[in-house]
Amino acid sequence: MEEYSRDPCPYRIIDDCGGAFSMGAIGGSLFHGIKGFKSAPKGFSRKLYGSLSGIKERAPIVGGNFAVWGGVFSTIDCSLVYMRKKEDPWNSIISGAATGAILSIRNGYAAMVGSAVMAKQFMMEEPPPSAQAPPSTDSLFGSKLYQ
Amino acid sequence: MDDNSKKGIFAPYSYSDPSMNVPVTAGPAGRIISPYMNFDPSYLQTGGESQFIYPEGANKNRGRFEKSFSQIGGAIIAGGALGGLFGLKTAFNDKTLKNQAFRIQKTMILNYVTKRGASTAQSFGVIALMYSLFGVGLWFVRNYQEDELNTFVAAGATGLLYKSSAGWKKCLRGGGVGLGLALAYYLYMYRENAFKM
Repeated sequence: MEEYSRDPCPYRIIDDCGGAFSMGAIGGSLFHGIKGFKSAPKGFSRKLYGSLSGIKERAPIVGGNFAVWGGVFSTIDCSLVYMRKKEDPWNSIISGAATGAILSIRNGYAAMVGSAVMAKQFMMEEPPPSAQAPPSTDSLFGSKLYQ
Repeated sequence: MDDNSKKGIFAPYSYSDPSMNVPVTAGPAGRIISPYMNFDPSYLQTGGESQFIYPEGANKNRGRFEKSFSQIGGAIIAGGALGGLFGLKTAFNDKTLKNQAFRIQKTMILNYVTKRGASTAQSFGVIALMYSLFGVGLWFVRNYQEDELNTFVAAGATGLLYKSSAGWKKCLRGGGVGLGLALAYYLYMYRENAFKM
């Protein structure tokens, strides 16, 4: 079912970007809401205000970082699909590692390798739905989507 | 409100797309190529709405929720591009940059573009996320009913919430702006049947 509900490749980039932003913004709201509440000075109204300002200032940033991650990941994933002409877990693993490396490019080679390995491990542990799906029915319909 | 028959960035496929309009019948060449393809095409119901086989349990059209991520992503990318352009304009208008070395100019322009782009993309994304949450929530609360009311109420509520911590006046103004944008969108997208009611 998952295979049908996802957008096909070039449009998947926009979709993943938005999905990652939503995840990051909602998760960031929760995290920074609690953090702002805890780190605010005494008094319930001050704590609520700290929580609100934490959400207002930080949650969009978390969402934006997630969106960049999702967008770069999906772009590389689609490029790999186009180049390798097949969809398998290796696409997500490679693009996860490449995304980690690209996004820490300003922090030096050691950081790049570190993020790449982390991202690769994350992608290997939780392969996307496309990796678990049964063999595709492309040959049945003679699909030549990516050729 | 979200009509699937209209092609656009958020609904890239529709039966009005000429590249999707592949003939089902063999055509005049089919007679020569294969006798099995030579049948009366009136057996096939062509014309009218296009016919697809839908996977079991799938809806015929994509609803608000299925479209929301694409809309948020589109808003983020559009906001990033717009903010980048604004940042570039600010950099060109910065007179102190004229006499600097090239490296400094490069860094400053990059800073202007990336910071303005990121902040604009974030605001656009937050607005789109609020709108989607309100829209999906309304759709859910109203027993999966989908019409213009969802769009207008969600847009107004988004404006109210986005400016809710800036004081009453700005909050109301934000709601008005949201409602106005939704109305403008509706009048533009459905200009054929908007005035018929």
